[in-house]
Amino acid sequence: MIVLWPHWWVLLILVALWALVVLADALRATDPRRIRVQRQAPTQVRLGNTVGGRLLLTNPTSRAAALEVRDAWNPTAGLESQRSSLDVPAQERRAVPQSFTPTRRGEHRSRALLISSRGPLGLARRTTTVDAPGRLLALHPFGSRRHLPSRVQRLREIEGLAAIHQRGQGTEFDSLRDFVDGDDVRSIDWRATARRRSVVVRTWRPERDRHVLIVVDTSRTSAGRLGESTRLDAAFDSALLLTALAGQAGDRVDLICVDRIPHLSVLGSTRTKVLHDMVTATAAVEPALVETDWELAASTISQRARRGALVVLITPVEASVIHTGLLPVAARLAKDHPLVVASVADPALEQLAAGRGDLETVYRAAAAEQARSEQAGVSHALERVGAHVVDAPPDRAPQALADAYLALKAAGKL
Amino acid sequence: MSLGTAPAPSAPTAGPPQAGGRAAEPRSGRRHWFTVVLVLAMLAAVLASVARGYYRDGPLEPDAPTAQGSKAVVQVLEDLGVDVDVDRHTADAVEALHSGRTVLVTAPGSLGAEQIIALADAQEEAGGRLVLVQPDLVTLSYLSPQISPPAPLHTGGQVEAGPDCGDLSQGAGVLELPTAEDGIRGAASLYRVGDAGSSCFSTEEGALVAEHDGVLVLGSADLLTNDGVGRADNSALVLGSLGADGELSWYAPSATDPMSSTSQTLLGYLPDWAGPLLLWLLLVAAVALVALGRRFGPVVVEPLPVTVRPQELVLGRARLLQRSNSRDAAARALRSATSTRLADRFGLRHESALDGLLAALAPHVDRTPEQLRMLLGPTPVTSDQGLVRLAHDLDRLEKEIDR
Repeated sequence: MIVLWPHWWVLLILVALWALVVLADALRATDPRRIRVQRQAPTQVRLGNTVGGRLLLTNPTSRAAALEVRDAWNPTAGLESQRSSLDVPAQERRAVPQSFTPTRRGEHRSRALLISSRGPLGLARRTTTVDAPGRLLALHPFGSRRHLPSRVQRLREIEGLAAIHQRGQGTEFDSLRDFVDGDDVRSIDWRATARRRSVVVRTWRPERDRHVLIVVDTSRTSAGRLGESTRLDAAFDSALLLTALAGQAGDRVDLICVDRIPHLSVLGSTRTKVLHDMVTATAAVEPALVETDWELAASTISQRARRGALVVLITPVEASVIHTGLLPVAARLAKDHPLVVASVADPALEQLAAGRGDLETVYRAAAAEQARSEQAGVSHALERVGAHVVDAPPDRAPQALADAYLALKAAGKL
Repeated sequence: MSLGTAPAPSAPTAGPPQAGGRAAEPRSGRRHWFTVVLVLAMLAAVLASVARGYYRDGPLEPDAPTAQGSKAVVQVLEDLGVDVDVDRHTADAVEALHSGRTVLVTAPGSLGAEQIIALADAQEEAGGRLVLVQPDLVTLSYLSPQISPPAPLHTGGQVEAGPDCGDLSQGAGVLELPTAEDGIRGAASLYRVGDAGSSCFSTEEGALVAEHDGVLVLGSADLLTNDGVGRADNSALVLGSLGADGELSWYAPSATDPMSSTSQTLLGYLPDWAGPLLLWLLLVAAVALVALGRRFGPVVVEPLPVTVRPQELVLGRARLLQRSNSRDAAARALRSATSTRLADRFGLRHESALDGLLAALAPHVDRTPEQLRMLLGPTPVTSDQGLVRLAHDLDRLEKEIDR
């Protein structure tokens, strides 16, 4: 038309017509507000795993709907494709499959769910926001799980299925049996021997149902990035392995996270549920850029820990920690409780200390050695006030803490 | 004397927080307006200054005060009472010729055939005077065939009016053109005229000024420029011949003249309906884009947990050590680390003196006790190379013991 009559008013009419066509297309589109949405989302997944979910879209109208759906999760939730388009025939229901591979521990949410409906010509669309809250908890991967069987085996040996028996503060009477070669003569029960013809020894086993209180420091120092993950992740890995092991040993485990305030605690869970509770509770804990108030932490610990309970402080042993007042607090705690200070060391420090290339790396090595000697000094100071210090790089920290726990068990101190 | 209870000063009830929020909004709005007004004022100032100082520059432009312009001539003519009109289009010039005005064509060479014919026809019909500045052969063949093809005048300098000038010289005795040394404009042109016409300021080859049948030809544009009009008697000739009628149309041909479309541009080959069609397509695309291109939901922002590089402190301390050249402090750190590790291997107490460690080491290494003391003792390190060497030596010592 415009070729035949190149006039301005023809142009105007054509544009108006075109706008009308677009408008009509928009009106012909199915009203997206009438689409019913149902979310079948998983509630939790271990970090590193993939989990599937579904969005069910029901079209109750009498017209087919050409839909485009955007499920706006936060990026680290790892939703494979946020957008999908599908046709839902009249009076029918269709599913949008979703798969999540979270890349960050913690709580993930769907911030918005939008549905837009295209017109039959595809020229216009109508969009609406649907209220369908989605929440997915990415749990701590608990990579140290694989070390659990070997530690449990060792625990069984200590517990008396094998022959290591030693009397101590944290043991209780188990049974009487005949003396065999190799038994400690001190454990002969003379009264029982007198009643029988053979020599009888008492056996002891580690006391069960002890209390373990794990205190995780979530302050500034725990935000340090060691290799792939943060120091806090390694700390939780250690805490979870210890929890699992202590659960096997029949001990009760509580957990407190502290920085300026004690902000998260898992207290009084039953032996069977404690690991699950802890994994769920720690999933959303992130480091905060504050210094830890150790005095406040100490008062919380003395409230929560039973007398004689094992207290495990998971905090980096660094010179800076001493300035924040850990040492006097540790001294006070160590008087009442067996105290383990578990630290996740920075493996990069070792690499720096081994650097011998040029002048700059030598200076770095010197600075790293200086830092290491300071840390060693802090460790000594802590050990002098009665704490057991466990300092290991992130890949060995959980095992080291578990071994320290087993050593305490074996020594009958717990 | 009773002390009346003073009326409780009604505490100025602080506005609720929303009120503060509402108060803040108009302020930001006002600042917005302030910015807009400021920008507009600045734009206006810039435009005004540009417009005031604006003139079109070019050869023989009537407004241009530059050397090649002709503002001087135009202004003097106006002061003498001559009605000077500036035309840019051939149609206007033709109309001026029809109404009997004198028309000066500043650049006849740039006119197309159509324009020249229009001018020639008008001049023939109405008889207005036509003044051409340095016309070429083609132009002359249309407008005044009696005036013959130009011969160039290369030398410049002074040209005297001949005896047979008559009125044509307008009382000017000598014309002066810029020479090559002045280097202002190209050569002037000389003309030869038939018997019916008259010419003036001749040399052997031709005349600088020629007239035939109402067409006056000036052989050089320099006669009219701001720079050239003041030389010798140039002004007399120019003012006399241009202001003779009291009405002058100054025709400066322009490229935007509708009659000057001598060559077609590439766009000219498109059909008429191409423009509207293109516009229509643009509008359709715009409507479709507005309909389809709206953002599909909000941008999702995610607060990520903070992470800290744990080695910052160590690296910073290393840089500080290096900048202050604390070789001894660095050496001390390296030596004490090595000593501690060696003492651990030998089962010595860390606190034990250096002598104990040296005594324990001596049987295991092939170094003299002096060398060992140099290595592990507090010997000052004098150079950077020394520090690097020390680090390597300590490494070697540890490896030797490990073996």
